[in-house]
Amino acid sequence: MKKVRFTALVMLLACSMALAACGSSNGGTKNGGQASNAPESKIEELTVAFPMVSSAQQDIQLVEDAVNKITEQKIQARVKFMPISAGEWQQQTNLLFTSNEKLDLMFVNGSLYSGMVAKGQLIPIDELISKYGGGITKALGDYLQVARLKDGIYAVPTIRDLATSYGITFRKDLADKYSIDVSKLNTMEDIEHAFKTIKDGEGGDFTPLIPSGVGATYLENYLTYDRLGDGIGILPDYDNGLKIVNLYETDTYKEQLKRIRDWYLKGYIMKDSATNKLSTFELLRGGKGFAYFAALKPGFEEQESQASGVQVVTKELLSPIATTSTVTGAMWGIPVNTKLEGKAMEFLNLMYEDKDIINLFDWGIEGKHYVKVPGEDNVIDYPEGVTAQTTGYNMPLGWLFGNQFLSYVMKGKDADIWNKMDAFNKNAAHSKALGFSFDAAPVKTEYAAVTNVITQYKLALETGSVDPDKVLPDFINKLKSAGIDKIIQEKQKQLDAWVQAGGSK
Amino acid sequence: MSALTQSRKRMKIWRYWPLYLMMLPGLAYMVLNNYLPMFGLSIAFKDIDYRKGIWASDWIGFRNFEFLFKTEDAFIITRNTLLYNGAFIVLGLGIAVVIAILLNEIRNKFAARLYQSLIILPFLISIILVSYLVYAMLSIDTGFVNKTLLPMLGIDSISWYSEPKYWPYILTFIHLWKGAGYSCIVFLAAIIGIDPEYYEAARLDGASKWMQIRTITLPMITPVITMLALLGVGRIFYSDFGLFYQVPMNSGALYETTNVIDTYVFRGLLQLGDVGMSSAAGFYQSIVGFILVLGANAIVRKFNKENALF
Repeated sequence: MKKVRFTALVMLLACSMALAACGSSNGGTKNGGQASNAPESKIEELTVAFPMVSSAQQDIQLVEDAVNKITEQKIQARVKFMPISAGEWQQQTNLLFTSNEKLDLMFVNGSLYSGMVAKGQLIPIDELISKYGGGITKALGDYLQVARLKDGIYAVPTIRDLATSYGITFRKDLADKYSIDVSKLNTMEDIEHAFKTIKDGEGGDFTPLIPSGVGATYLENYLTYDRLGDGIGILPDYDNGLKIVNLYETDTYKEQLKRIRDWYLKGYIMKDSATNKLSTFELLRGGKGFAYFAALKPGFEEQESQASGVQVVTKELLSPIATTSTVTGAMWGIPVNTKLEGKAMEFLNLMYEDKDIINLFDWGIEGKHYVKVPGEDNVIDYPEGVTAQTTGYNMPLGWLFGNQFLSYVMKGKDADIWNKMDAFNKNAAHSKALGFSFDAAPVKTEYAAVTNVITQYKLALETGSVDPDKVLPDFINKLKSAGIDKIIQEKQKQLDAWVQAGGSK
Repeated sequence: MSALTQSRKRMKIWRYWPLYLMMLPGLAYMVLNNYLPMFGLSIAFKDIDYRKGIWASDWIGFRNFEFLFKTEDAFIITRNTLLYNGAFIVLGLGIAVVIAILLNEIRNKFAARLYQSLIILPFLISIILVSYLVYAMLSIDTGFVNKTLLPMLGIDSISWYSEPKYWPYILTFIHLWKGAGYSCIVFLAAIIGIDPEYYEAARLDGASKWMQIRTITLPMITPVITMLALLGVGRIFYSDFGLFYQVPMNSGALYETTNVIDTYVFRGLLQLGDVGMSSAAGFYQSIVGFILVLGANAIVRKFNKENALF
């Protein structure tokens, strides 16, 4: 009797397991897009990971529920958010991979992209895109191909500013005080002249040029070359006949260092630049500095002025250019952990074409976290009595959640911004190596050593803190002994292979 | 005979079973936390491919270790790590012992408590805050030393964060300032545990305070000193990451005297995020530490068997 009951139990267990397996394989393969609204198909749950910068969002659960209402209906899936603090992003996601936790869709940081692919963390998604990604292809156009690596596309860039132009940002009050017309500052000599005027006027310890961020140098926001990702082996003038050179050995680099050093000695540059830990905005608010180099895009002036509380004006020095890094800076990919790649792609597609989902991510729930401004179609405002500080959902990461061009614009900002941005993207020149990504895996021993040498010298040199005549030769020697030539060789080899395979098309 | 000891052993287990039971969770924790992850050491010898998983990834021998030894930096980081930690062990123990003896001699209860708290305070400050305290002292534009102290002495200001030669002293000072209070607690406890009768007897015989310290206190706490020294030696290849990364503000110009194995590995792999290479570094550190502990213990045992750990 007892035995019979036990066998029955085992049978029951086996059956239920088989059924469960059936269920999941159904969901994995059958998902027939929006067309099959078959109510009998099971609702799957997707885990979606993305970084978060601000502190706890108390209403994030409500937003998740609202997103689920849409997805249950449209793609028969539920979505579970997995927000990860941006500072811990790399460590946490690495843990998710090593422990093979459930994860179906994730944000991909452009600088880690080729490394993640080399380690096998992402799956190729070409087929999935052609099957479920109509909205993605339509919204991204040719820029989708930039994410293509040797064996396929592994992640989809988000739609935001896909190019960048380099320029310089000035404090408006000081520019006005000394009647400097920033639109006439075209060369470094003009800028130096302006610095001199300011320095003579303000006198003493005042240093006109401040860093554009913590740990930022004065050269990295004025790029006349394609860094090809990491700056180890670059393409001068975004072309150079696709011949890669060592940036640190070029004459241009040497001249730039000399100018920066000269400015440093003349007192135009903040003395503590190399060890500075204050953000540019904090420095501006503290009344320090007059100008900083920046990577520009439409709406940049407004964005910086609002964020710092100090009115600034910008001057473009180098015209807009699209490189692999500017396009692939923020992407979404499907991790190898997933068993629901079809559903994941369907959801990703919604992030590029479904206005409701995008705005749920970007702004929260209508009526609770924002209200539409009457008479306008994409301008919103905070509801009565709610501000950016008191709202239960404040996610200032519009560029991260798919297609930002479908996002509403907060009242007070340029309502036409997305059209301008679109034009900016379309009109930007293309680097000749646009679409090429370097995979450092074959030379990682040298890569680790070279990275160390660069962190040792770069910041001190590019902030003018040390004399380039003495230090630059040391730097170059150490790079050589760390194996930079081998990396450049490998990069050139991969670039040649990329050209052979059709290049940027 | 053996049957006898065995049955006695069984008796013992039987008699103290509650104690053994209490040991179980700790033992389980140690197995789970300290021994199971050791399988992960294999990662150091593999080219991790997440499609294949950890076990099926390819073995690549010692390739992950290469970057540690390949450049001329390898010598600098090893030298820095060893010299700093060597200095920290010797000076740290010495100063902690002196402080402990001094604290023990303070008869006023309130004052003793006060000093003890004050000395331990730096240990409780986060290293990030410490780095900013140091920065407030040494910054070029606003630092106290450059703006107030040096002008008073009529010396030109020094750009501390690009002069490597000062940093061995600065870092050693900070380490001692931060850690001495904490490590002296152990010694203080050991000193308090010494039977007061020894001192009474010594006083009756007319021994001075100095003699008492030299002939009673120090010999009595020697086992504790050796133990802590051995533990320190075991960690000689690991360095206090916060101290060497945060306090010099990650200033490249100072790497010559501030770069240690941990910071080197961190900076080199920040971009690559390669688990294989980072576990290789960890593996190397622990193996060398293990060998050094065995070696140091063997030396101690040679001189004084009682003071050896095992």
